[in-house]
Amino acid sequence: MVYREMSDKVEYIRRFSLYRIVEHLVLIALFVVLAVTGLSQKFHALGISQSIIIALGGVDSVRFLHHVAGVFFTALALQHILANFSVIVFRQGEPSMLITVKDAQDALHNVRYYLGLADQPVMCDRYSYKEKFIYWLILLGGIQQIITGFILWFPVAATKYLPGQFIPAAKAVHTNEAMLIFLLMAIWHIYDSMFSPEVFPLNKSIFTGYAERRPETQEKNSGNGQG
Amino acid sequence: MRVRAYMIGVVLLACLMLPGAGAFAQDGAGEQEKKQCLKCHGEQGSVKKFPDGDFVSTYVDAHALDMSVHRSLRCTSCHKEFTNQRHPDRAFRNKLQFRIKESHGCRDCHAEGTIKSRAIHEALFKKEAAGEAVVCTNCHSAHAVTHIAGGNVSKSEEKYCLRCHASEKKMVFRSGESVSTRVKLAELQGSPHRNVGCSDCHFGFSSEEHPRRQFRSERQYRLSSSEICRRCHFDMYTKAAEGIHYAMLSVGKLEAPTCIDCHGGHAISSLGNNRLAVVQKCKTCHSEVYEVYARSVHGGALFKENNKDVPICTDCHSSHGIKDPSLPEFHDTIPDTCSKCHSNAVLMGKYGLSTEVVKTYLTDFHGVTLGLYQKEQKESPERYRPDRPMAVCTDCHGTHGIAAVSGAGVQALKKTLLKRCQTCHRNATENFPDAWLSHYKPSLTNAPLVFIVEQFYKIMMPLMVVGLLFQVFLHIWRYLVNR
Repeated sequence: MVYREMSDKVEYIRRFSLYRIVEHLVLIALFVVLAVTGLSQKFHALGISQSIIIALGGVDSVRFLHHVAGVFFTALALQHILANFSVIVFRQGEPSMLITVKDAQDALHNVRYYLGLADQPVMCDRYSYKEKFIYWLILLGGIQQIITGFILWFPVAATKYLPGQFIPAAKAVHTNEAMLIFLLMAIWHIYDSMFSPEVFPLNKSIFTGYAERRPETQEKNSGNGQG
Repeated sequence: MRVRAYMIGVVLLACLMLPGAGAFAQDGAGEQEKKQCLKCHGEQGSVKKFPDGDFVSTYVDAHALDMSVHRSLRCTSCHKEFTNQRHPDRAFRNKLQFRIKESHGCRDCHAEGTIKSRAIHEALFKKEAAGEAVVCTNCHSAHAVTHIAGGNVSKSEEKYCLRCHASEKKMVFRSGESVSTRVKLAELQGSPHRNVGCSDCHFGFSSEEHPRRQFRSERQYRLSSSEICRRCHFDMYTKAAEGIHYAMLSVGKLEAPTCIDCHGGHAISSLGNNRLAVVQKCKTCHSEVYEVYARSVHGGALFKENNKDVPICTDCHSSHGIKDPSLPEFHDTIPDTCSKCHSNAVLMGKYGLSTEVVKTYLTDFHGVTLGLYQKEQKESPERYRPDRPMAVCTDCHGTHGIAAVSGAGVQALKKTLLKRCQTCHRNATENFPDAWLSHYKPSLTNAPLVFIVEQFYKIMMPLMVVGLLFQVFLHIWRYLVNR
C-alpha cells in the first residue's frame, strides 16, 4: 500500500557521483575476474573449472590473471580507504557509512516489522543497516583477502617474518573468505539490487547516479553525491 | 593287380556302408586307402629322382603318420592328384620345385589369414611376396607334422642343429673377440622357448642353409641377435623402442642393453616372477643406484625379508618402455607411481601406513598444480608450457635411497627438508618448510591455527547463508503480506 502511493509521485535524488559509479564498475570487473580465476582454482576438480582453466591458457595463466586483478583490487581498496579517510578527517562530507547505534535499532525494528510486530519498515539514514553490513563485509573481507593473497603469492618472503604455519592458515582464510564474499554477493547483493520486489528488475542507481526516494530512507538530496 | 582290384572293391564297399562319414574322419575307407598306399610307400629304399640327379625318398613312416595331427586325413586329402586308380607320374625340375609344389597343398586347408596371424610366419610371407620360395615342410615336416605346441618340429630341428652345436666351438669376430656356439640342451629345455624350433629364432638357418655371417665385435653380434626377438615379441619390442635404452643405442651408445642382455639367450627367462633377479639384472649396469636402493626402506625389505610388496626397479621405471628419468614427463608422473601402492588401503594397512599421504599431497598446492598441468598437457599439448616444475614425492623423500618416515627418519627428513625446498624456493628460510603440514590434517595438535580458521568458517559460512536466505524470505513474505 505504502509503495503504491509513493510510486505515484516519483522523486529522484542524486545518490552517487560519477566517481562512485566508476569505482563500482571497476569493482564489478575485478570481482568477476577474481571470482572466476579464484573459484576455478578452489574447485579445480570440477569439469567446468578445468574447462575455464584450459580456456584461459592453463593454471599458470589463471594465477597470473588472479594476481594482476589482485593488484588492481589492492589499488582500488587503497584509494577508497585513503579518499574516504581524508573526507572524514577534513570534514568534506558526512561519514555516512560509519555504523551507528541507530543501525542496530533499525535492524531490531525491521526484525519486529518482518515478524508482524511493527506496521512500518524502519526509516533508515542515507544508507540502510543492510547496505552498511555488506559494505563493511566487502571492505574488511577485501583487506583480509589482500593480506592473505600477498602471503600466498610470496610465501618465501612471508615466512621470513611469520611462522610457516601462517601459509596454510592464510590459504584457509583466503579460500573460505572468498567463498563467503561470493555467497554474500550471489545471495544478498544480487537479491537486494535485482530481485527484491522494490527494485526488480534492477536498481539502476549505482549506474545512473540517481535513485528514487524510498520510504525506507530519510535520504536528503546530497549535492556532491559523496558518501 | 588282383590284389589291387580286390582292395578297390573293399574301399568302394566301405564307402557305401558309411555314406555319412566326412572327409576328415578317419573311416574304414581311409584306413584301407592308407594301407594300400603304404604297401609301396611303407618300404624303405625307394626314391623319386629328379633330372638334376637329386632325389627324394618316397618312404612314409607309418608310425610318424599315426602320431601326426593329420592322422585322421586320407592320403588323397593332401595328395589330390592321386586316387586308388590313378598314380600319375609327375615331372619336377628339382627337389625344391617338388617341395614347393607339395607345400601349396597345405594352403587348401590352412587359410592364409590364419597362418599370417602367427608372428613367426610374417617374415616368411614377406619373403614369398619378394618371389622367394617358402616351403611349409621345411619347418613342419611332411607326414610327421605335429602341433607346434607338441614340439615335434623343434625336437627334430634341435637334434639336427645340436649335432654340431652341442660341442664347444667358437665364433670369432673381426675384433678378435669370440663367443662359444655351444648350446646347452638342458638350458633350452628349461626355458619358455622349449617348443620353439631353432630356425624360428635363427631365421635363415635350416638343415639346408647355414649362412656365414661376419660381425665386427661381440657386441655387434649380440645387438644383431636381439633383433630376432621382435619377430614374435613385437609388442615388447615396440615398447622398448620408445625407451631410453633404445634411444641410447640409436645414438651409438652400444653398451645399452637389448633383449638378450636382460633375458639371456638360450637360457631365456621372462624375469617377471623373480623380483630379486630383476634387481640383480639392473645392477649389472646401475650398481651405484643398486647400492643406494639396497639401503633404502624398500630395498632393505626386499633383500632382508624377500618382501614382495616393495617396489623394485621395474615397478617405477617399467621394464621395456623405460623413460628417461631426467625428463619432466617422468618427474610429473611420480605421484601416480607412488600412489599405486601408497593409496592402496589394504597394502598400506599391512604396514600401518596411512593412505592419506597421497590425498594430502594431491589437495595441496603442488599436487593441485601438477594435476592441472597434466590435464593441460592432455587437453592441449601444443600450448602446454608449465612455468616451473612442481615438487613431487621424491623431491622431499628422495628417490632410490628413500627412508622410512618414522622415529629417527622423521628428524632426518626434516633436517634435509629446507635444503630440498630451496631447490625451487631459493631464499627460503627456516620457517618455510613448516608451510607444508607434512601430510597431516590440521588438528588442535597439528597446525592448530589452520584448524581453528577452518572450523571458524565451517560454522560461519552456513550461519551466514541461512541468515541471508532467511532475510530474503522474510523480506518477500512481508512484501506479499503488505500487498
